[in-house]
Order: sequence, then structure tokens, then C-alpha cells
Amino acid sequence: MRWMDAAIAAGAVPAAFVPEASLGRTDLTTVTGADLVEGERLRALPVGAAVGPPGPAAFLDGIQYWAVTGYDGVTPIVRAYVAAAIRRRGPDRRLHTVAEAIREIGITCRAALSPAVRNALARFEVDLIDLPVAEASQPGRLLAAAHVQVDRAREQIERDLAEPYVASMGKEEWLVVDGLLSDTVALARHPRAVGVVKSHGAQYFEGEDLVTALTLAQGHRTSVFRPRGHRHQPVFSWYLRLWPWQGNDLHYGLLRVEAQAAEDTVARASALSAWLLGERAPLSTPDARWDRLLYPIYEVEAYLKSRAPGDLLPLPGARLPRTGT
Amino acid sequence: MILRPDTDPVGRVVATELKPATPHQFHFWTATETTIGIGTIVKVEAAGRGEPGEGRVVYGVVTDAYAYSDLATPLHDVVGAEGDPARAAEAPTARQEIRLWTAAVLRQIPEEPLQPVPLGRVFVASDADVAQALRMDAYLSGATPTAIPIGLYSSGGLEAPVYLDADFLLGPEAAHLNISGVSGLATKTSAVEFLLGAVFQHFPRHKGRIAAVCFNVKGPDLCFLDQPGALTDEDRARYERLHVVPQAFSPVHYFAPFKADGVNLNTLRTHPGLVETVEPLVWGLGEVLDFAEVLLNRDDIDAKADAFIDFLSDRVLNREFEDGFGGTHRVQTFADLERLFRAIFDGLELSGRSDMWRTHHIATIRKVRNRLGNVSTRCKGLVTDDGAANDLPWGRFEDRAVYVIDLANVDPLGQDLVFARVVSKLREHLEKRALGVDAVAVFVDELNKYAPADGPETYVKKMLLDISERGRYLGLVLFGAEQFRSQVHRRVVGNAATQVFGRMDSDELATPSYQVLSPATKIKLATLPVGELMVRHPHFTQPIFVRFPRPPVLRGRDGVERFPPAADLPFEEAVVRQLVRLDRRVKPNVVRDLIADREEDDVRRALGATRRERPADVVAFFRRVLGARVGPESPRERAVVPPLNPLSEEPY
Repeated sequence: MRWMDAAIAAGAVPAAFVPEASLGRTDLTTVTGADLVEGERLRALPVGAAVGPPGPAAFLDGIQYWAVTGYDGVTPIVRAYVAAAIRRRGPDRRLHTVAEAIREIGITCRAALSPAVRNALARFEVDLIDLPVAEASQPGRLLAAAHVQVDRAREQIERDLAEPYVASMGKEEWLVVDGLLSDTVALARHPRAVGVVKSHGAQYFEGEDLVTALTLAQGHRTSVFRPRGHRHQPVFSWYLRLWPWQGNDLHYGLLRVEAQAAEDTVARASALSAWLLGERAPLSTPDARWDRLLYPIYEVEAYLKSRAPGDLLPLPGARLPRTGT
Repeated sequence: MILRPDTDPVGRVVATELKPATPHQFHFWTATETTIGIGTIVKVEAAGRGEPGEGRVVYGVVTDAYAYSDLATPLHDVVGAEGDPARAAEAPTARQEIRLWTAAVLRQIPEEPLQPVPLGRVFVASDADVAQALRMDAYLSGATPTAIPIGLYSSGGLEAPVYLDADFLLGPEAAHLNISGVSGLATKTSAVEFLLGAVFQHFPRHKGRIAAVCFNVKGPDLCFLDQPGALTDEDRARYERLHVVPQAFSPVHYFAPFKADGVNLNTLRTHPGLVETVEPLVWGLGEVLDFAEVLLNRDDIDAKADAFIDFLSDRVLNREFEDGFGGTHRVQTFADLERLFRAIFDGLELSGRSDMWRTHHIATIRKVRNRLGNVSTRCKGLVTDDGAANDLPWGRFEDRAVYVIDLANVDPLGQDLVFARVVSKLREHLEKRALGVDAVAVFVDELNKYAPADGPETYVKKMLLDISERGRYLGLVLFGAEQFRSQVHRRVVGNAATQVFGRMDSDELATPSYQVLSPATKIKLATLPVGELMVRHPHFTQPIFVRFPRPPVLRGRDGVERFPPAADLPFEEAVVRQLVRLDRRVKPNVVRDLIADREEDDVRRALGATRRERPADVVAFFRRVLGARVGPESPRERAVVPPLNPLSEEPY
């Protein structure tokens, strides 16, 4: 990366601190509650046998990597890489990339840099996110702010891909998104867009309803509900158990599905669930999240990872100790 | 010609710590559907400007292949299909899978410094690439090209000619060709026939004249080399691609010994339309005695027998010789020799002297007599008692001619003898540059029989070793074939600079000789289709698979059907035919009258002399040699006692 080299030449100290990468979307972290839209109370409903997809399907996922690649004094200079892709499943049952976007960015607080380093960065057309001075008072604060910026950048390119794609989708075509659907207006309103959420930091129920939701048997879903107090677009949602959780964990094999907030969604929640149940195979091993990670999403992620710059990827078998941890 | 533009890469080199690219090997992946296969030649170029390895071009041949998916363990497939194999195929998404290929480096440009293969784009090799990859460019063009086509390298329906270097096939840089493969499927004989045709058409004029001597040791394999065979359009296209004219060999000279009757030829080429082109191969005592060592088995080899044979050759054969018992002998034939032996045994017995004759023990003499007598019995038809030999035209070999010696039905001892003598004479004449040609390719099938990896050190084996190790300097080149290479003496196969493999037996491939081949290459060899060969040649750093067209000559089996062998002729008719062959004007009835009531041995002797002399007036010469008819003695008139007067019936 030439701009980073220039910064180092101007006095910045090289670094190689790779924070825990956020490979997928994070779910909400607060208990917001939900409004039931199917039935009088939250119930566990069998979805029936797994079935094939209702039509041609495409899958959207994004990745993000970032690392501190230098310090000027105690001000971190962060290099980030975000990418997203939509891969469509063809008649040969294989995925083919139909849309892809990447962005490489630098994140720091320009005002906190020395003039020499600042001038060095200025000489290059760096896609730089300049954080406010207040965020640079401590290295840790700047990193937290950088993390937010990386998340946003990744979400943005996902939106940039998704919006034109759903606008051009055929009548029978579906788009499955890894994570929240409600981030994007076009997705949240599209009748054939489905969000698949693997992490369950957010809780929508308490008491018996929570028990019902988290102890679903395999092949069952909950009644459809509307997440309350959602920050973004309104959507309908339900939980779906892909694999039996007994002997593992409450979240084992548990997905939360998001779809358009419409009556049709309630009518076809079971059919969509049966389809997602069918997407369990092939298993997305060796990924540790295979109990919830649909194979096509896993494959989009693998595709994106294969194209990511190698120096930002965490090396699983690195022989040298990681620095800066 | 491979016309497909090489602008579209078919693969990309990948390297990991476990599977790195090295100067001699690299790995690349392709689309799942690809024309790449084991044996495909590929070209690697650095991916782009400024990338490592820019400007370096590497040629390789695919030696191994792998396919795998991202499945971590087979158990995960079971889990995903919930234990039902039928459901495994119902998964909505097919797993990611890879076609990963291993290739051995054929050539790097530039050659120095030798570096690991760049992680670049992989292309299917074009015609020019194949020539570069196999280093054929060095001998394909220039002022004195020495390229000889061996077949077409094929990949994905595309074909490129592959050439051998005559300097390394026929000497002097290296020489000899060895071809292995299972009977019937490896098409060894067809391959040699095609190659000989290619050699005759492409052997560079500046290298001189060349001929081939072929030993036909089984069936009618080589009996119809002068007859055109059927070719398909595909074959013709291949010939055109290889710049070889598909034509039968011409001239072809056939030689075969007689059968035991001494007049009918011991060959399957006895159809009336062809038999006249077969020359009898007949040797006398002199020809045999020179190679008497061939006749001795391992137990016989002792200095005493050797010394006695040398004595016979040097002091007895073709000269006046006194036996020491008052007799004088001029030994020219087996019959003369037998008379000498009898005289010696009788003389020793009658004189009551010791068991020694001229420092040779009588037991040694008996042994040699036994062995020499044995050959005249077992090889009756090849060896004549009267010394009238008919041999190959030593000193008058023709350029681009094939000399076929049919030994298919000859006793193994006789085969050894013929083989040893012919090859020795070839060597002798080539050493003197007096054969008529500058180089001779000797085709020997069933090499494992003549030069076995184990077994006794026979004369034939020693001679084959000698040719293998020194023949290239003389222009004496061995084209050997066998089913199992591992059963041939390793120095004989090891000295063959060009090695060709047809369909191989799996057990044979498991022997140490094939350790250098990858498992995939071995599998390909074990399933090689008819007409496809794997070739190793000094210029090729890796074995290359080629296809060759069907030879343009009649196959042995087809030849026998089209030209069925004639039944043996009665003695008289056989003699007539041979004399007519020498002179068309010979009248059969005259010959029949001449030989009527004559001893067959006398007739054979006269026939042999006539054949050797080839006089202008065949009948006159034959009559003279046969000698005047000794007419049957007319019955002597018996002196008859005149009868008495008729008896009177009257009693008184």
C-alpha cells in the first residue's frame, strides 16, 4: 500500500494490529420487544419437510477486514477493506457472481497527525475517513470509532449492491441476505427478499414466549412477529430451528428470518422456512457457524475472502506471535 | 494444427506451502469442465506486467490430477443428507469443487537462472508451444534438420506433430528404440512399422543411406510389409499432419529358411502371388561354425570345446587336412565333417591309441560333433549338409529397403543362430563401411527372449548388449519390442535412448522400473487406447503421449486372409518352382524329367548350387551339377538252361 509506505517514510511507526474482524452483521443488542402478527400468542409451528427453493435465488453477503498499520505518535492509522457480492444460483446448482463491490479505506484523525505524515497522506488519493479530534484522544477510542466506520462502509456497499439488484430481479427470483433486511429500504419492502440473521444478541421476547422462541424443536418456526422499536425499516420476522439444539446450545441451529412486513409474508412463512430448511445441505463446514450459516452464504463469504488482500487476513497458522494484542 | 488462440487462459498456477511451485513441478486449477487431462502440455506465463516471473515462460506436462470439494469430512456429507444418499444430490447448491492439476516442467524460457514456476496464467499449448516445450525447435529447422515424426500429440481434439531427433534415434549421439506393452493392445508392431516408414521418408539425406532388418518371430506379423493396407480418413489426415506419405514399404526383401524337406519355404508368405519374392535362407557348415558358440549352452561352455571348434575353423575347414590315420579330408559340408569325425573315431579305435587326438580329448570331440550334428538336425532347412549357402546380400544393401527374415516357425536354436549371425554380419560390414548403407535399424520382437533380465549369459544376449552399448557409433540401431520391459536386461533397455510404451500391464507398472511415473500416468498407461503411445526421448524431459496412424501396410492377419499360404508342394513341383523363379524360360517338364528317379539329396545339392551360381542357362547348369543320369542297369540276361525236350506224356 503506497500511501501507508509514504506515511511510514514520513515518520509514522509501522504496526500490525489486527482487531477481531467482524465477518458478518451484528444483531441488535437490546431487548426491544415485538408485536405478534400471526395468532394470539407466540407458538412453535412445524414447517413441514424441507423443500427446494421457490425460484431462482441469489445470495448477498459482505465482509470487512481492518488493521492498524501504523501509529503516528499514539494516533492509529487504520487500513480497512470492505467487500460485498451477490452470487446467483444457476441451473447447474452453482453460484455465479452477478454483482460485486469493494472499498479500501484509510481511517485516522488527520488533525492528530504530525504535519509530515499528514502531508505524506495528502500526496495520495487515499479514500480516507477523517475522525474528529475528540475520537483521537485515546488510541482505544479511535479504534472503536474506526470499527463503527468500517461497519458502516460495509453496510453501505451492501446497500449499493442490493438496491439495483432487487430492482432488476425477475418475478420468480429471490434474494437471500446474510443479516438484517431492515437496513435497506429496498430490501425491507421487497416481497422476495429474505434476511437470515445468525446472531441473537437482540431479544424480542421474555418469559414463556422467550422459552418458546429459544427452545424450538428442529423443523419448527415461531409465529410471525414484528420487531418493535426497530431502528430501521419495518419488517416481519420469525425464528426457525434448523438443527436440534438439545445437547448443544439454545442458539444452536437457530435462525431469525426477516421478510417484508406484509400479509403475504405471514401466509408463506412456513413455505419459506421449509425452503431455508432445505438449504441446510450441503453443510457449510468447516465454518464453526455451520449450524446457522447457509451454504450459499458461506460460499459468497468464501468468494469474498479469496479476493481480499492477504495482508489484512488473520493468519490462522502464523508462525510469529501477533503483535499489539 | 492447433489453431485455437492462446489468449484465453484455461487455468492458473497456485502454490501453497504444502504444494509449492518449484523449478520442476507446479500446480494449477482449471474450470470443472476442461479439456485438460493427464499428458496435456500447457504453457505458463506470468499474469501481468510487473508481476513476479514476468517474461518467463514455462512449459509443462500434466502428470497428476485432483478433484475435491470444500467438504471437511465425509461425515458432513452424511449429516447434510441426513444419512440418505439419494438426498445428497437434492441439495439446492452444489458444493464448490476444484480441478487441481500437477504438471512437470518440460522447459523454462529463459533456461537460466532456473527458478520456480511463476504463479501465472495457464494456456493450452499450441503447435509452436509443443515444439518449444519438447525442445524440437533445435532439430526441426535449420540447415540440417533431423526430425522424424513419431505421432501426434493430442489434447481436447487438437493435434500437434511430435518429432524425434534422428541423431538420438539412429545415432551417433544416442540410439536405439525400445517399445513395451501388452500383446494385442499395445500395437507394438504397428508402431514400429509406422516409425520405420517415417524414418525412411524423413531420415536426412546428409546422414546417408539407411535400411531395416526385421526378424519376424511370430506368425505373419511382418510378412506383408510390401502390401498396402486399409486406412481410414482419420489415419490419412494424421499422415498428412505428420508429413508422411502413407505407402507400403518398397523394396522389401524376404528371407526364410526351407522346411525340413529342403524345398518348401518355411514361411506364411507362400501364396503363389508372393512366394517368388521370398529368398531361401540357407547356410552351410562355414556359416554355422563361425557362430558355434550360439549352439553351446551354459554347461557346454568350456575352453576345451571352444579350442576344438577354433581348431576346426582355422585348420580344417576348406583346406586339405590329414586326419593322422592316413586319410585326407577337405571339409566343406556337414557331411564332410561327419566323415572326418568317423575317421577320427575309427582311427583311434583301430590304432588302440589313447583317447587323445591332436591334443583334443575324444569326449570333447564327441561333444562338438553332437552339438553340430544337432543343429543340422534341428535346423534342417536352414542348415544344409552340402554347404551351398544362400544369404542376405552383404555389401549390397539398398537404401530405404527392408529385409525381413522370417523365423516364426524355426526352432529356437535356429532363431538364435540366425539372429546372432545376421547381427554379427551387419556389425562386421558396418564397421568396414561395406554394407551398402550407413545405418541399419534392426527390429527384434520378444526381446525378453533374446536378452532376458535373468537367465544364462548367452551369446545372443552378449551380442545384444554389445549393440546396445556400442551400436550407435556404427549405425547399428536396435528397435526392440517386448511385453514386459522389466524382463529384459536392464542395460539393453537402459541404452535405448527412445523408449515407447503402449498399453501396459498393471503388474508390470508396479515394478521398480516405473517408479518415476505418477500414479495417474500409470493409470493412463494401463488404459491406453490402441494407437496411442507414451514416448520418452532424450530431448523430452518428461514422457509425452502421442497418437500414431495405422501403418499403411497390410497387417499380418489381414495378409494371411488376403493371401492365404499355399499348401506345401510335392518335392518335384517345389524344385520346378525354384528353378522357374531363377529363369522364367525353364520348362517344368524338362526339370521333372531331369529329377525323376534321382535321390532327393542330390537334387537339393544341385538346386542349391544353381541358386548360388545363378547361371545364365539354369537348366544346363542344373543338369551338369546333378550329373549324368546313371541309367538303371538293364537286367542281365540270365543264362537259362534249355529245357529238356517236352516231356512225353507217354509213360513209356
